[in-house]
Amino acid sequence: MLDTLTTFFSALEAQTGLSHFWWGNAVMIAIGAVMIYLGVAKRYEPLLLIGIGFACIVSNVPGSDLIQPGGLFYYAYKGVALLIVPPLIFFGVGAMTDFGPMIANPKLVILGAAAHLGIFVALIGAKLIGFTINEAGAIGIIGGADGPMAIFTTVQLAPHLLPQISVAAYSYMALMPLIQPPVMRLLTTKEERLIEMRQTRRVSRLEKMTFPIIIAIVVNLFFPPVAPLITMLMLGNLFKEVLVIDRLAKTAANEVMNVIIIILTLAIGSTMQADSFLTFKTIEIVVLGLVAFMVGTGSGVIGAKLMNLFLKEKINPLLGSAGIASVPIAARVAHMVALEENPQNFLIYHAMGPNLAGVFGTAISGGIMLALLLPHG
Amino acid sequence: MSPVVPDTVEGALLLSLIDFVLSIVMISGIGFVLALLPLVNRLGGVDEESLRKGEH
Repeated sequence: MLDTLTTFFSALEAQTGLSHFWWGNAVMIAIGAVMIYLGVAKRYEPLLLIGIGFACIVSNVPGSDLIQPGGLFYYAYKGVALLIVPPLIFFGVGAMTDFGPMIANPKLVILGAAAHLGIFVALIGAKLIGFTINEAGAIGIIGGADGPMAIFTTVQLAPHLLPQISVAAYSYMALMPLIQPPVMRLLTTKEERLIEMRQTRRVSRLEKMTFPIIIAIVVNLFFPPVAPLITMLMLGNLFKEVLVIDRLAKTAANEVMNVIIIILTLAIGSTMQADSFLTFKTIEIVVLGLVAFMVGTGSGVIGAKLMNLFLKEKINPLLGSAGIASVPIAARVAHMVALEENPQNFLIYHAMGPNLAGVFGTAISGGIMLALLLPHG
Repeated sequence: MSPVVPDTVEGALLLSLIDFVLSIVMISGIGFVLALLPLVNRLGGVDEESLRKGEH
């Protein structure tokens, strides 16, 4: 009788995940819980952290069918891996974004490239400590501060690093108000931070309608590797700017975007399984990501200062830090640092120009990387 | 099938240099396109009110 019962309970235990549970799962469940806490209590990127945290917890409970083929989280990840989700995010972002500040002041566009030196410092750093060149390229893109672009590049160059890179990219984007200001203050004088910008010209509706069409042509012509992302960004923006399909523009900016955020967060969280996430590589990637963000911020500021050597009408160098792609967080940080010096100096509109250019800068860097690192026939 | 860039530190340096320089050039090109964008205004204006009224 006792033997039968023992056999019965052994068989029952084998059906559960208990026998496969190890301390790593407990650590990851705790990390998932912290993410939910930060999202709820501290309001750090709640749209992202709550879904990621929950999926992280569930995927670290051994036996969860959701992450196996046939499970919903598995298919959410497939949506990312098959590069369906990142272009749809860009579609929604395009429908929410006013490119007017970038169109109005084209000379600031160059800051969108200057602020990406961090990408290359992280890339070289990653290679020096033993990552492969493809892994190093994917890690470098964290410095672009563009979550969907980091995912898009990583899935193609180093898909096994997706959880670490996406978590690092989105975490640092949330922490930019803490990471950027010390670097910005270190590299600028008080006088420079006080520079006020002249009001820019008004951009016409026709220009705003023409912009996405021209950029879609240019991007598909010159940067095919990243064309899916930028083309969808431009489609969303065209929906917004033509005014006659407001219904679709609102759907892209709200309903589509919300559904895609849910899918994205579940996909990222479900990849955070203890055996692949709790490695020394994760720490290295997190450190390299931080270096990339700091160097990118600094190089943007220095780029703006270099521009001032040639400009008659000086620009506020804080705008350079906004060249990091994270829209609109980086622009908001530049605005806040300028406000600390002079409560009447509103930089936000001007900072949106380089900030939006940063999206293009990251896409161009990522596109060149994909073109050079992916095998060619 | 082989990648263009060697999997070495020199390869990483080369990739970074090419990528950074090309990024600057290409984004300057986008800036140039943007600088030309006001030319479309010569085609005439757009009546935003009528566009909003005809919304679908």
